[in-house]
Amino acid sequence: MAENQKQNYLTHPKGIMSWLLTLDHKRIGLMYLFGGIAFFFLGGVLALGMRLELAAPGNDFVSNDTYNNMYTLHGAIMIFLFIIPAIPGALGNILLPLMLGAKDVAFPRLNLASFYIYTVGALFVMYTIISGGVDTGWTFYTPYSTTSTSNVIPMTMGIFVIGFSSILTGLNFIATIHKMRIPGLTWYKLPLFVWALYGTSLVQITATPVIAITMVLLILERLLGIGIFDPALGGDPVLYQHFFWFYSHPAVYIMILPAFGIISEIIPVHSRKKVWGYKFIAFSTLSIAFIGFLVWGHHMFTSGQSVFSQIVFSFITYFVGIPTGVKIFSWMLTMYKGQVSFTPPMLYALSFLFLFTIGGLTGIFLGAVALDIHLHDTYFVVAHFHYVMQGGTIIAFLGGLHHWWPKSMGTMYNQTVANICCLGVFLGFNGTFFPQFLLGLRGMPRRYATYDQQYAELHNYSSFWSGILGLSIFISIMNLLWSLRKNNKLDPGTNPWGGMTLEWTHTTSPPHPHNFEEEPVLEHGPYDYDKVIVEPTFKK
Amino acid sequence: MSEHHITPLKTYLAVAGTLFFLTVVTVWVSYFDFGSFNIVIAMGVATLKASIVALFFMHLLWDDKKNLTMFVMSLMFLGIFITVTLLDTGFRGGVNSEVESPINNRAAFYDSLPLTDTHGHPVDEHSADHHGEGEDHH
Repeated sequence: MAENQKQNYLTHPKGIMSWLLTLDHKRIGLMYLFGGIAFFFLGGVLALGMRLELAAPGNDFVSNDTYNNMYTLHGAIMIFLFIIPAIPGALGNILLPLMLGAKDVAFPRLNLASFYIYTVGALFVMYTIISGGVDTGWTFYTPYSTTSTSNVIPMTMGIFVIGFSSILTGLNFIATIHKMRIPGLTWYKLPLFVWALYGTSLVQITATPVIAITMVLLILERLLGIGIFDPALGGDPVLYQHFFWFYSHPAVYIMILPAFGIISEIIPVHSRKKVWGYKFIAFSTLSIAFIGFLVWGHHMFTSGQSVFSQIVFSFITYFVGIPTGVKIFSWMLTMYKGQVSFTPPMLYALSFLFLFTIGGLTGIFLGAVALDIHLHDTYFVVAHFHYVMQGGTIIAFLGGLHHWWPKSMGTMYNQTVANICCLGVFLGFNGTFFPQFLLGLRGMPRRYATYDQQYAELHNYSSFWSGILGLSIFISIMNLLWSLRKNNKLDPGTNPWGGMTLEWTHTTSPPHPHNFEEEPVLEHGPYDYDKVIVEPTFKK
Repeated sequence: MSEHHITPLKTYLAVAGTLFFLTVVTVWVSYFDFGSFNIVIAMGVATLKASIVALFFMHLLWDDKKNLTMFVMSLMFLGIFITVTLLDTGFRGGVNSEVESPINNRAAFYDSLPLTDTHGHPVDEHSADHHGEGEDHH
């Protein structure tokens, strides 16, 4: 038994090939995690480079062309190589079978295949960077993307390939959730993170094929001159935007729904209280996933689409606010009269509530056609989506990473450092992006390396705080990695936050190579803090 | 899903026969002009054929109904995409008639085509500044 307890998925089996050819969902999740963090770092360096350039009005460090390359790569890398795969690929892979009491995902080989497909896509993107970059913006709008001399084809090819990785992961997760639950784990007893992954997977398999088609059509028009988007050949440039946003708006929910799932796990555990409105949270996930398919035209209010569809899209856009509001209020009511402890994951979750709410509410501004025509392509939009994507998804990702780090790695990071970093991220983030709302309102357009003197003060302020933000994220990741040093192992029975889901109560930290030594028996619901007492245990 | 349905050869042959027959129908109707209904009829026959293939050859008729639900859902999403996009293209001239169709004067991609001004007169290549070097087109 003692020998058996020492065995965990990190150390057994050994050897580099046992990692590269592993079928273990936890190892595949870790490979996604480190791959994703590497791209997060690369995208972050590009972002800091842009902020450095924007600290003063002129062309101080980079040329306009280089700047165009930088923002395109920043956007494409962050979205396609980090945010979309990071939470489902890394945390989802590691946690989903554990939360279901399963030995692995439904199709382990397919899981490994989707990791390698992601790697191949990433290689295309790396090739694009090495061979001179691409300057169209991450949306690859026609007609510029069909005429630009930069490397549009390898980049869009990379996105095409990565899309398949996303589809296969989604497919795998849906099959796993349907088929691999232990007896008694009914739908309403699933942890809310699983519901979030289910909603995300549905969007992944229904929307992602469309981006693949879009990229193929773009490549066909560039290579063979087939008229799809070019009016001179009978095409329609606005059609490109319909195609692109039919995927990319639901993709926003591929990015944010798993983040909602993480927050739904962190808040009840760290408040030691049953989640408020379980079914509301679960079904709001599905309704966001569905409504997300009907609102893509709100990205196109100035594209020349018909006034009729502008009105329809604007109207439907407001509906997204309903399920999102349901979630925010449910989380707040979960904390109400709970024993809230200010651990690093909880601080990230609280930051999320503030930042995501600002991001969501400014989305309502942008959903209004009349106001959007004024704010379109300004820094207001830049600030809005960073509040949603970074303030929402990345903050939740960091929170989830801190929450499940002791579980997946079996070590505990320095919590004081993590708390200080979280504060640094919160302040740095607001310092960076809040001034951009003001810049946008005053008419500063996005995607320019230079600007008028009147914007200098706010830009300067934003650049200064972006340094604090970058440094805080860097130190928090280093803090996590530093915990992996020798002789810092936790006792395998550790449950540092007192979690009630299967991954905390029925397996070791880090988990056994086959997840559970015997099939777990469900004893209570995921958040039954009102019925059962699970004390946090923290031993070295 | 638990029991595997074995389709009799007769059914397969009947389905194949139906498909061939419908192909003949497609060819036959192409000799008549129904105006704007040409596309509706052609797509209708094609959809019927695709449904037969999905139901019989792909076993959706006998499979777990979840699979059929997934298949119908994917058609539904395609439907959403096409109908809502038509809300744009079908109503572009509603308020401003000049945006009814995309501007066709000159797309920068076709530098080989002769340049014309807004009245259709030829313009000197070198004096025109149409090349899309700019960072943003909107």
